[in-house]
Amino acid sequence: MSPLTMYQLVALLLLCLGLFGIAQRRSLVGMLISVELMLNGAGLSIVAASQLTEADAVLGQLGTLLVMGLAAAEATLALSIIVVVAKRFGTTKTREVSTLKD
Amino acid sequence: MELMAKIAFWIYALIILGGGIVAVGSSSLVRALMGLISTLVGVAGMYMLLGTPFMAFMQLLIYVGAVAVLIFFAVMLTDAHGRGDESEPAPIRQHLFALGAVMAVGGVLSWLIMNRPPASSLVPAEVSIEQLGHGLLESYFLAFELISVVLLVAMSGAVLLAWEKRGKK
Repeated sequence: MSPLTMYQLVALLLLCLGLFGIAQRRSLVGMLISVELMLNGAGLSIVAASQLTEADAVLGQLGTLLVMGLAAAEATLALSIIVVVAKRFGTTKTREVSTLKD
Repeated sequence: MELMAKIAFWIYALIILGGGIVAVGSSSLVRALMGLISTLVGVAGMYMLLGTPFMAFMQLLIYVGAVAVLIFFAVMLTDAHGRGDESEPAPIRQHLFALGAVMAVGGVLSWLIMNRPPASSLVPAEVSIEQLGHGLLESYFLAFELISVVLLVAMSGAVLLAWEKRGKK
């Protein structure tokens, strides 16, 4: 196996773990943790692909940097939404947070 | 890859796998978060192996330094007590559906990765930090500015959402 394939397999492992977590977790914070896993896999895949092939390495690294920035922004917003949900429903379990209006 | 790089790769891969399993499967959210942190550190090690120490540094700074602490605060603020929201095991049906989703996506993508490998060089490209700075302020200037706007909007949005008037309680 070429080095690129191995790095891509690790990134795929991260994606699969995150996907499993997001389908199986029952609280919003747990789902957010899974999303962070998936985003990390994406970043690793981009950097590996740009460092080990003919593609522009600068573009790959800066792209991953932007993905990290977006992940930070996404985490901030998701967390404040979770705090609002926790205040309103008294829980963050996904089964109980199921009404739009009551 | 040389032998040392291979050993380091497998160590980091094991850290990522173990941390990921804890992050996804642990019934306590704080333990899941510790698993997430070890996974992030493992990915930072992979960045070092790929010859991108700047990305490894940013990974530690942004993810371990900022995002993990943010999630800790969320666990605290949402009152996820010791027993946790995940204390009772998920129904078996949910596990099966999750496994099905993972099998479908993972199967297709791993088949593609294994059977259509692009030409890979053995040694990662060398990029100096100066080149990165030039790229950030010349070719990709617009993206660089826009990400700061996005971060500012996200920050003010978070403050607005979680705002609580004093004495209203």
